[in-house]
Amino acid sequence: MISFKSIFSRIIFLHVIVVVITAIFMPLGLYWFLKSAANDLQHQAMREQADLVANYLVLRPNGQWELDLPPALQDLYSQAYGRYAYAVLDNSGKVLFSSLKDDSPVFSADALASGVAFMQTRKGKAALSGVSLPKESAGRTVWVQVGEDLAHRDVIIDDIVADFFKRVGWITLPILLFLLAIDIVIFRRALRPLVNASEMAQKINPKRTDVRLSPEKIPSEILPLVQAVNQALDRLEAGFRVQREFTADAAHELRTPLTILRSRIDTLADRGTSKALHRDIEGMARIVSQLLDIAELETLSIDPAEKADVRAICAEVAEFAAPLALAQGKSIALSGTDEPVWLNGNSEMLTRAIRNLVENAINYSPPGATVEIVVEEGGKVDVLDQGPGIKDDERELIFQRFWRRDRRRSGSAGLGLSIVQRIADAHAAIVSVENRPTGGAKFSLSFARAT
Amino acid sequence: MRVLVVEDNEELAHLLAQGLKAEGYEADLLTTVAEARAAVTTTRYAALVLDLGLPDGDGLSILREIRQRKDPIPVLVLTARGGVHDRVSGLRSGADDYLVKPFALEELVARLEALLRRPGQLLGRSLQVANLAFDTESRQAFIDEKPQVLSARETAVLELLMRRKDRVVSKKLVEDHIFGLSGEVASNAIEVYVHRLRKQLSERGAKVQIHTIRGVGYLIAEEKNQ
Repeated sequence: MISFKSIFSRIIFLHVIVVVITAIFMPLGLYWFLKSAANDLQHQAMREQADLVANYLVLRPNGQWELDLPPALQDLYSQAYGRYAYAVLDNSGKVLFSSLKDDSPVFSADALASGVAFMQTRKGKAALSGVSLPKESAGRTVWVQVGEDLAHRDVIIDDIVADFFKRVGWITLPILLFLLAIDIVIFRRALRPLVNASEMAQKINPKRTDVRLSPEKIPSEILPLVQAVNQALDRLEAGFRVQREFTADAAHELRTPLTILRSRIDTLADRGTSKALHRDIEGMARIVSQLLDIAELETLSIDPAEKADVRAICAEVAEFAAPLALAQGKSIALSGTDEPVWLNGNSEMLTRAIRNLVENAINYSPPGATVEIVVEEGGKVDVLDQGPGIKDDERELIFQRFWRRDRRRSGSAGLGLSIVQRIADAHAAIVSVENRPTGGAKFSLSFARAT
Repeated sequence: MRVLVVEDNEELAHLLAQGLKAEGYEADLLTTVAEARAAVTTTRYAALVLDLGLPDGDGLSILREIRQRKDPIPVLVLTARGGVHDRVSGLRSGADDYLVKPFALEELVARLEALLRRPGQLLGRSLQVANLAFDTESRQAFIDEKPQVLSARETAVLELLMRRKDRVVSKKLVEDHIFGLSGEVASNAIEVYVHRLRKQLSERGAKVQIHTIRGVGYLIAEEKNQ
């Protein structure tokens, strides 16, 4: 059995099979009905004719049978007309009267039955079909045979049956095809609410969890499915909301105490201690931000329609990171193309990815160094530092969560690059790292450009 | 000068008030959207420091109401969420600036001051970086309180940088500001002005540094004695 993905093609396929079968058997059936109706009519007519002939058959007192047909009937049975024939046979099968030229019986004499019988025979070119019925008078029985030549040109009813296919039978096919076409239209209309519901369903993503399938105009058979899907979406939305609220609450609950701590430190008289404590808080704040980023990335999905200018994002990150770099006696520079570089992606997330790379580059570069961001027209972003570079055996490890080269270093939880990796994956981008010939590392994010 | 601080964490609110007081501001502290709404309609404050996550609603709703009334009060938004999306929606709702927690108190004061020095606001028009001052009304630069003569374009560049001290001013913004829509800008014109400005300031003993962030813009900061 062929399996169809679409209900529509399944219905149409079955419908076509039904049309083909009907197109074959309906004319055959009609033909059969027509033919038997024509036969019945002819039999009835013959029976009446035989009765009529029998009425003119009289038994004389001398024991002789006499047939005195009126002229109209004689004309009908005349050989010149040639359509009808009659014969009267006695008990022994001897022909008493006959309209045929050699006084032969219409049907063979052995066919004399006890009652009315319908018979068929061929005589030369003629195909005789008729009836034989007994007539009794004063204890003697004779048989009246009446036949009609169905091959005669005046017999219309048989022509109708014979011509049925040619003249009438073909009409069933166009009618069936017309019905098929109408049904296709009907099915399309009937399936429209389902198509609409599918289109609605396509709009659902973690950012648009409020979309629901409209139960309006949905056929009652499909309604339970639509309702079940909507209920599942309700639960999903609640899940996403909890996750989002958690991240928002966690951000508030974690960052506010850090701000308090920081403000308190500002009131300390010992500037040296307060400076060191500030650095600790920077580190903690960064880890908090990264943990929140990770929590948020759990629900990240990229809206295919979203576009982001990665060149503008790099400029924004450079602006943001410049004071940070300068505070550490380092610098930052942006080069590459000056034109916008549009990608399919979420600018918020791309900003975070590039910011993590840039912050890492600043942290690992020595004072006096410049971190370089290069944006290529083809959708590639390079972040070049002047740090110690990446050892070959660490190349894979650095993208793992909580991996750090130097566990003694505080203010870093080893989350930055795993965030970059996650965001790159969500954008179908490739993160790579290589050591620069002049020293330092080069991290690259390669995107596909927006179409 | 009276500033309204709307922050639901009382400890933080008190610390902010203390810090502001040390800088010469009076701060009124409120903790809910409802209180803040009542306060801004009845009292004229010099500025509003607004936390977004409040117990009875989103701080942005007050902000939108204030802007609908065409109230020009400078608003500095404090947020625990530093995403671009959150910042953009804050600025769109009418915030003049935003600070992401955790921030340093001196950063808050500096940002607030920058807002109050905008035209039409309450603070004097004098911008200050180390021993370099700039009076935005007379458009006059001072080093150690001695007036300095600078060309019109150098002055314009200096003003832009000083309004956003310690922050990057994009090259594009400088170009737009200096040349407007008046026509073609020679590709290195801004660099030339900045170079001249830098040279003149250092020759005249200003303890400031104009950093070039290549490909991005410029930033003025206090000179660091390494």
